[in-house]
Amino acid sequence: MTQNAHKRSGIADRLEAWLPKIILAPTTLAMIVCMYGFILWTGALSFTKSRMLPQWEFVGFLQFEKLFANPRWDVALSNLVVFGFLFIAISLLIGLLLAIFLDQKIRGEGAIRTIYLYPMAVSFVVTGTAWKWILNPGLGIEKLVRDFGFTDFEFRWLVDQEMAIYTIVIAAVWQSSGFVMAMFLAGLRGVDDSLVKAAQIDGANAWQSYWHVILPILRPVFFSAIVILSHIAIKSFDLVQALTGGGPGYASDLPANFMYTFAFNRAQMGIGAASAMIMLFGVLAILVPYLYSELRGSNRG
Amino acid sequence: MGSLTISNVTKTFGSTEVLKGINIDIADGEFLILVGPSGCGKSTLMNTIAGLEDVSSGQLLLANEDVTDRSPKDRDIAMVFQSYALYPTMNVARNISFGLEMRGVPKAERDRKVEEVSTLLQINHLLDRKPSQLSGGQRQRVAMGRALARSPRVYLFDEPLSNLDAKLRVEMRTEIKKLHKRLGTTIVYVTHDQIEAMTLADRIAVMKDGLVQQLGTPNEIYDDPANQFVAGFMGSPPMNFVPCEVAEDGSIAIRNRGAVVSLKVPQSDHLKGQDVRKVILGLRPEMITEPKPERSGEWIVNMTMDFDVTEPMGADTIAIGEWNDVEVLARLSPEAGLSAGENTSVQVDLSKACLFDPKSGERVR
Amino acid sequence: MAIGRIGIYALLLAFAAVYLMPLYVMVMTSLKDIEEIRQGNLLSLPESPTFYAWVKAWGSACTGSECEGLAPFFFNSIRIVVPAVLISTLIGALNGYVLAKWKFRGSELLFGALLFGCFIPFQVILLPMARLLATLGLANTVTGLVLVHVIYGIAFTTLFFRNFYVSVPNELVKAAQLDGANFFQIFRHIFLPISVPIFTVTIIWQFTQIWNDFLFGVVYSGPGTQPITVALNNLVNTSVGGKEYNVDMAAALIAALPTLVVYVLAGKYFVRGLTAGAVKG
Repeated sequence: MTQNAHKRSGIADRLEAWLPKIILAPTTLAMIVCMYGFILWTGALSFTKSRMLPQWEFVGFLQFEKLFANPRWDVALSNLVVFGFLFIAISLLIGLLLAIFLDQKIRGEGAIRTIYLYPMAVSFVVTGTAWKWILNPGLGIEKLVRDFGFTDFEFRWLVDQEMAIYTIVIAAVWQSSGFVMAMFLAGLRGVDDSLVKAAQIDGANAWQSYWHVILPILRPVFFSAIVILSHIAIKSFDLVQALTGGGPGYASDLPANFMYTFAFNRAQMGIGAASAMIMLFGVLAILVPYLYSELRGSNRG
Repeated sequence: MGSLTISNVTKTFGSTEVLKGINIDIADGEFLILVGPSGCGKSTLMNTIAGLEDVSSGQLLLANEDVTDRSPKDRDIAMVFQSYALYPTMNVARNISFGLEMRGVPKAERDRKVEEVSTLLQINHLLDRKPSQLSGGQRQRVAMGRALARSPRVYLFDEPLSNLDAKLRVEMRTEIKKLHKRLGTTIVYVTHDQIEAMTLADRIAVMKDGLVQQLGTPNEIYDDPANQFVAGFMGSPPMNFVPCEVAEDGSIAIRNRGAVVSLKVPQSDHLKGQDVRKVILGLRPEMITEPKPERSGEWIVNMTMDFDVTEPMGADTIAIGEWNDVEVLARLSPEAGLSAGENTSVQVDLSKACLFDPKSGERVR
Repeated sequence: MAIGRIGIYALLLAFAAVYLMPLYVMVMTSLKDIEEIRQGNLLSLPESPTFYAWVKAWGSACTGSECEGLAPFFFNSIRIVVPAVLISTLIGALNGYVLAKWKFRGSELLFGALLFGCFIPFQVILLPMARLLATLGLANTVTGLVLVHVIYGIAFTTLFFRNFYVSVPNELVKAAQLDGANFFQIFRHIFLPISVPIFTVTIIWQFTQIWNDFLFGVVYSGPGTQPITVALNNLVNTSVGGKEYNVDMAAALIAALPTLVVYVLAGKYFVRGLTAGAVKG
């Protein structure tokens, strides 16, 4: 490495030696204050009775108790479980399937890939707006299918307490599965060709060589994809806001929407901070084992 | 004016001591080669000479001036890297002149220098090309051109030929030697190729574990190695090492074809009175040959050996036999190699035999 | 075998149709008038295409109390995105250069700590950031939003540049040092000229992220400084008179257009950014 802790003569040289640190200083400051400092700040806030404004009167775990006693938070959490699981599972499945099929020397692969991936370029707000219209009870898919002759067809998930969360799954999968496809495709392209040939010589058919040889190699891609998708799921806010507004009622709220509502619309800063901390711990619970295995892996290799 | 004195230089990274006190005096115009296995500290030493890494302690004198604390740009040293490290976005001409540009040399002067250097290295026709458009050998020349353009006081070469194929390597080796003759500038040259070291160097410093094991002319290093490591490192195929018992009279015993042979070596007289029971006999393969009747003397011994394998190398044939249950290589003429096998007559020249202490690896003289 | 391949193509094309459907529906709906929307269905073509919805969405649709269309917010977004992208990219480039080639004691730790910033859910910094912006007098200002986007974008831009520069051989830096170049000269003459691809990737990534941002926009902007995503959401959820789905779709398309254009023009770099952002470290 270009270690250059000079103890050089001359002011210019000394300044030069300090330049790397000087350049990183603003970023470091911003990071310490605006990431770690703010996390601590929010953490501290979650132990106070703050409402409209921060009040530094500590009340222990009161806000967390209130939070978990709140039926709306309950809904948001169980929605996150349902949404997170379905969103990740379906995105992985579709992404992997499309990647494997696209990897069969397909003509027009570039164009098809472009089509699969464009939703990722679009804002979740746009996605939500579009799907809100497509799933519109009355004029959306329902009308389309009825026009095909199925006049009794009903599709009212968007206004159905029980089903609203699944509309969010649909829109999120539409937006993100192409990205998962791209990750898997990159992984597949990285697999050594001779491995597949070796498997073929060993008598494996196409299915067997995918299942026994290639997919195990793609394990790291699975992990990365799962981490990124769960990260998207936990942070999901704009999609819900645009597609269902958390409704009907609060039936399709996710923790991110809960946090926003309580912290900014309802002046319940303490509860908002507590919910944000729970979200952070959720991310950490996924991230720490992942980073740990990544780092251990890179140390070994 | 390019003498270089390395005095008690140490370098530690964290808790690992990479250089443990290096002392080398390099005369003006000398071609010094640093050899050693990877991790021996030779590249680190090179970087400290260049100023790319600070020394932990010690001193570097360039033309009797202390440059230990000077930044690389103020040392007037140029370096040729193993990877060539050509600037990928600049053409050859700019690669060569970049150092002059950074030093504020006027354009006309730079152009003249590029012209001069590229003529010397026969790369005039490549000046407009980018490094990616050059072959390995051409890149190597450009890398040298970049170093030459600055006319520095000392050149550093860090394994400059190891990325070339075998034929080109030999060609460039000769060319570097010619260049050194012509310029007469001090060169410090790192390699792990002991043939390069033997052919190019005025003196060789053999390094291991952050220490200089031996510093001497190629012949001194080859014929009179300071220890078993140096003996084994220089020479291809390497020196034979045979663990032996020392007899009362100072002769050493080897078991060959089931029989014990007692060999008198130059060190025998000296060993006689000492309490040395075990040594390692070091004998270069070329000291075991087919019988040459014209040679005789106190240290010439004739015997027969069993060779399991022969490896024709063209100019000679390496035959592999066994003494004291360890492999012993003999260097035979191609003709003798053809018939080598069981019960082959050989002549052993013990005049240059080395003895090493089995524990420390140091010479037993 | 042939049947298998036909099956593969059929499936790939079916999925392509599914992915394209929302875009198709948006475009078609935006070109219909409201009467036709009520009579036809999602997939039907407009009989007499009209740009009424586009004109209204751009210039006169209501986004809450005021009815000036998306135009002012489109320009708000540009005023936020351009400086935020440029500043965060430039800082990221210098940071990456230092973290890859001028390591010092603690710099790896710093990088690890920064990397973590790519992952934190922003909800956890929303409240204190609002306080900080208020203290600095930047609440509800474009400058404030630029600042927020720069701060939380640096982690990504630094990561991109650092990972790109790590693959540049150290010998290049050493050679340039021996040639007498200093810190900035090495950056300027050796690193910048090879950085065009990574600048493209980073700028596209940041542009997409910031243009598409909703969370920071909705929390930190005021009435006059809202970005287009917030305005779009307001437009869709403003119920003044009958619901004009065609205007909603035109508005959504206007909000999506800049990033879609970038994607079509520079898809390769967009994908590279996604995977670089994905496969971290």
